[in-house]
This record gives sequence, C-alpha cells and structure tokens, in this order.
Amino acid sequence: MEALLGFLIFGVTIGVVYGIVALGISLIYTGLDIVHFAHGEIYMFGAFLGLVFAHQYNVPYWLAILCAMIVTGLLGIVIERVFYRRLTRAGGGYTVAGMGMIICGFGMSVVLQNIAFLIWGADAEPFPVNFGMPYQIGEIFLPKSYVATAVAALVLMGGLHVFLKKTKIGLAVRAVAQNKDIAFLMGINVPLMISLIFGVACAIAAAAGVLIGPMQSVQVEMGYLMLMKAFAAAVVGGFGSLPGAILGGLLVGIFENLGAAYISGSHKDIYAFLLLILVLMFRPQGLFGVEAKVKA
Amino acid sequence: MKMFSRGLVSTALIAGVLVVHTSAVAGTIRIGATMRMISENGQKYGQMVADEFDLINKNGGINGNTIELSLLNDECKSDKGVANANKFIHEQKVHLIIGSTCSSVSLPIVDVTAQARVPQIIPHSTNAKITQKGSAWVFRVPVSGRYYAGVNAKYTGENIGTKIAYICAADAASQNDCDAMQDQMRRQFNAEPAYVAQVQEKEVDFRTHMLKIKSANVDGIMIAALAETMSRALLQSYEAGIGKSVRRIGSSSASNAPVPKIAGDAVLGVFYTAAYAAADKRPIAQLFNQMVRDKYGIHAPDHDFSQAYDLVRIVEIALHRANLNLSDGSLAADRTAIRDAIASVDGYRGLASGPISFCAAPTPQCRDGNKTPVLIHYTKGGEEFETEVLARVPMPINFGLE
Repeated sequence: MEALLGFLIFGVTIGVVYGIVALGISLIYTGLDIVHFAHGEIYMFGAFLGLVFAHQYNVPYWLAILCAMIVTGLLGIVIERVFYRRLTRAGGGYTVAGMGMIICGFGMSVVLQNIAFLIWGADAEPFPVNFGMPYQIGEIFLPKSYVATAVAALVLMGGLHVFLKKTKIGLAVRAVAQNKDIAFLMGINVPLMISLIFGVACAIAAAAGVLIGPMQSVQVEMGYLMLMKAFAAAVVGGFGSLPGAILGGLLVGIFENLGAAYISGSHKDIYAFLLLILVLMFRPQGLFGVEAKVKA
Repeated sequence: MKMFSRGLVSTALIAGVLVVHTSAVAGTIRIGATMRMISENGQKYGQMVADEFDLINKNGGINGNTIELSLLNDECKSDKGVANANKFIHEQKVHLIIGSTCSSVSLPIVDVTAQARVPQIIPHSTNAKITQKGSAWVFRVPVSGRYYAGVNAKYTGENIGTKIAYICAADAASQNDCDAMQDQMRRQFNAEPAYVAQVQEKEVDFRTHMLKIKSANVDGIMIAALAETMSRALLQSYEAGIGKSVRRIGSSSASNAPVPKIAGDAVLGVFYTAAYAAADKRPIAQLFNQMVRDKYGIHAPDHDFSQAYDLVRIVEIALHRANLNLSDGSLAADRTAIRDAIASVDGYRGLASGPISFCAAPTPQCRDGNKTPVLIHYTKGGEEFETEVLARVPMPINFGLE
C-alpha cells in the first residue's frame, strides 16, 4: 500500500508538469488553431533562464520562476510576431497554412535548440534548490520539491483560470479563441490577443521547465520527450480543453508510473502512448473534448 | 641546336631542382579522429589531442614528416561516426583513424576500418565486443569492460553484499557494463540480480525504479549509464529514500566530471572502476593534472583525458617505428606499416595505471592494451570533487573471455 502511494505521488508530481506544458499547447491550439511543435524547446529555454536567474543572479527560486516566465513569455511574443504571424494570418487547422505552421514549428524547434546549444552548451546543468528535509509519511519520503511543484502547478492553473474567466482581457482572449472575425467586429484587438495567448502559453511552459529543473537537471535536449508526453496529455484530456490538459497530464503521469511499477519498469515511456492510443480508440475527442472539431 | 641544348640544360636543371625539392619536402601523415565533442569535457580533450599532435609537429614531426590531423565530432552517434570514418578513408585517404570515444560508435567503425584495411586506435570505448570482432586493424588503449566488471564484482561481493539491483541504460557501453557485471556476480558469487531495469539512454525519471529497489532491500545498486543519466539516477535514489548504507556502484562513466557536478553530495561513496584517477599520486599523473588544469581549465581530468593523452604518445612511438613512404602509391603499405608498428608497442608506461601492450594477433588478448583497472570512490561531490584510489588491479589477460 505504501509502495502504491509512493508510485502515485511520483505520478502526480511528474503529471502536473506534463499538464502545465499541455495547458500551453492547448491554449495555443484554442487561440490560434495551430499545434505548436516548438513548445518543448520553449520549455527548455524557460528552464535554462530559470537556472540563469537563480544561480547567476542569485534570485530566489520562486522569483526565478516568475522572471523566467516573463522573459520566455516575451520571447514567445517575439517568435509569434516575427515568424508565425504571416502563417497564422493565412489560417490554421486543416489548411495549407496550418500544415506550413506545423513545419515551421519543427523548424523553430531545431533553431531554438541550436541557439540554446550555442549559449549554454550540451552539458546537463544541475539545478540544486534547497527545499529542506523531505516529509516522512510512514515509510514514504516526500521531497519538498514535489510538494512545491504541485503547489506551483495549482497556483498556475488557478491564475490562468481567473485570468480567462474573471478578467476583461481573458474574456477577449476567449472571444478570439471562439471566432476571430466576430471578435474583431466587436472591437477586440485580435493580433494583440493572439500575441498574448502565445506569450502566456510560453510563460507557462517556462514555469514547467523551472519546476522540473531541480528534479531532472537542465539540458538542451530536455524538450523533446516532454513535448511528446505533453501532447499525449493534451490529446487524452481533449485537445483544446484547458481542464482536460491538466487532467490528461495527471493521467499520463500516473499511468506511466503505475505501468512501470506493476507491469515492467523497462521502457517506461510506452505507457503514456499506450494510454494515448486507448483514448483515441475509444474516445477520440479525449476526455473533455467535444466531438465536432470544426469551430464556429 | 644551341638553343636546343640550352633548353635541355635548363630542363635538366629544373628537373634536378624538382627532384631535390621532392626529396627534401617532408611527407604528411594523415590522421582522422572522430570523437564525442559535444560536452565541455569532450571539446577540451579533442582540443588536447589536436594540441599534442601540433606539439609533435613543432618539435620536428615524425622522422621529418608532419602529422595532419582532421578532427571531427561524431556526437556519440553511430551514423555520424561511420560517416566520419568513411570520409577519412575515402576522401582524405588517411593513414590512421583515431576513435571513437563511445562504444556505440566505435563498434560499427571497426567493420568499416577492417573492410578498408585502415588501422584504428580507440581512445575511449569499453564495450568488450570491439576487440572480439576479430579485426586485425583495431587497437584499444582503454581498459575493456570485461576487466572493469571483474574488479567491480569482486569488490562488491566481498565488501558490499551480493543482493544487487541494476539500472542499465540503453547505450552500448552501459549495456555491456551491466551484462558483464551481472555475469561476474554469477560466476564469482553465484548471485542473481535482485532487480534489473533497462532504461532509455537519456532517461530522466528513475523514481519508480528506485522505489521498487528500496522495497527489494538490496545491498547495492549498480547504475550503468552515461554521465548525465547516472547523475539523475543517483539523485533520485536519495529522493526515493534509499539510504547511504546501500552502496551505489557506477559504470566507468562515473569518472566523468558531470557526475559529481550534477549529483553533488549524492555522489559520495559511489565507487567505480576506470583507467585513471586524478587522485593518482604518481609524479607523471600530478604533472598531467596540472597541465590539463592550466591549459584547459579542467579541475580534475578523468580517464577520457588520460587515455587520449596515452593514445597520442602510443601513436607517436608507432609512427617513429613505422617505415613510411607517404606517396600516393604507398597508402596501403603505409597503413599496414602503421598497424604493425602499433602492434609492436609493448610495455608502454604512461598515465594508465599499468603497462599498455599490443601484439599482432587480432584477438582481445592482443588488442585490449590496458589491463589494469583502477578502483576509485568519490570522497567529495560538486565541481571541486575529490576521489580516492581504492586499488589498482592488474588483470589476467584472458579474464572474461572464458
């Protein structure tokens, strides 16, 4: 029983991180009708920026997360304005421009990875943060970094929820996500909202990167696997659904940890994608998705 | 007629000058090196190899000939390593190939060099299969994984216990280290593994494995993985609540600087076998440490540095001995001469803890040069890490081949 609790704790701590990255992917998909394949590298950039703030400028860890979010968010806005705007203006989804956007995302992923390589090199960098002694619950040791990750994830989700549901800008973002033309006719600055959506999604990915740093260290290639898992989480939860992204992340994290614990620990990554296939077979729209994907 | 004879004299003079010029101009010994140079350490030991050959040239070269080194990065990827080797052989017409520094790259290159009949000397790859392929063209400067496993298993069984869990990453060196250690634990102590996990080469989350290992009440955990992966596993073993009483055993990549740097205090007490320890008290080792520190800014060179340095010295000795023509028509003969000269190196003593010897037969006994693993453990983690040498163990030449 204690072992099961341990596996669940591991699943939840990694699952919330998958969920946060998936949240960004879903947010971009909701707002821009595009699947952003460079999101793993945005997550990696955020992690490195957090490391720079925390260790080079001695900024406290929580403030480093915030600083990394701001800088990465701004970076996301620049990327969207300079590189993606022409393509997204031509349309997303199942259009030729949508396909161009996917390819552009792959290209941006390679470019960002190489820029990071030039700046920070290929070595994995430790991200030690002193959270203090772990909590002990019976035989289970619960490192405070896990608790911190879960709390930070909850704060981020809550903050995003409040932003989208309780603020005027959030309302404008949701309007743009629903229908850009009507939003424009209602007087909303659609290009600005699109940049904002992209910036917020990138900032969230940066937070995930800084949160995972103390657990897994930081390196240039860290984005790829995270992107795959976050995609699985987004699809399991229902692509475009924000609560679905979080739930999907948790399910992927727990499923892969329990699979590794009780089926086979080798090739742990299979379980996340097995779950993805099962969901696509029996509920293609995901847990929180709607069946018709054609937007108004 | 007068003009004709004047022209003839001129032609003869020019021809004479050309002949003199040709015989006076030194030949060029072309060497291609393919190494993993993506990390800071990798870039710096690659640079060290280039600098050492440069120094040989500045000091007069090899019997009046200069060495032309072409250094390429294979990023520890087998396809890039093979492409580099083919480029060296077919485009640059090299006389000798150095590399790679990863078993997964060195292994396929062995077939390429064997087919093209080009000598290959390896600075750092532990997979025992490299010399078991039977190529007459391959030489290994580092210690083979079969010797490491023997020493690790003996120390573990006699001092730690026989209930061992294994975490084995998917790269060729780690797989070989893991399998060889399990095999030796069976042979020496009749001990079956308490837990075995195969993980991705760059796995990031080991916590589930560690929790299962914790519940298995093992005496030790062997982590066979590349440096960054091993560091994460070490850290997460403590996160899962596995205490210090359970000893951590590293594969040879535990000697790489990123391990203590990333793992910090989690590296304390980790023991492993390698070919060289910066804690070595011999004057030659202290001088080498100082040189690497001053020239490349490396706090404590690991065996990647020492083996690359030993390799350059062995190549230098062999090239001095080889009777080279260095003309276009003598390429095949020159390659054979270099191979035979390397095979004649016997009892070279450098930074390695024991002598390095080769011989002509294409067998592991002849081509695994260094037979003296060093047992080392960490006494301090972090960037300013410290190690201690527990033992130097000369191994029987046939060990692990039965």
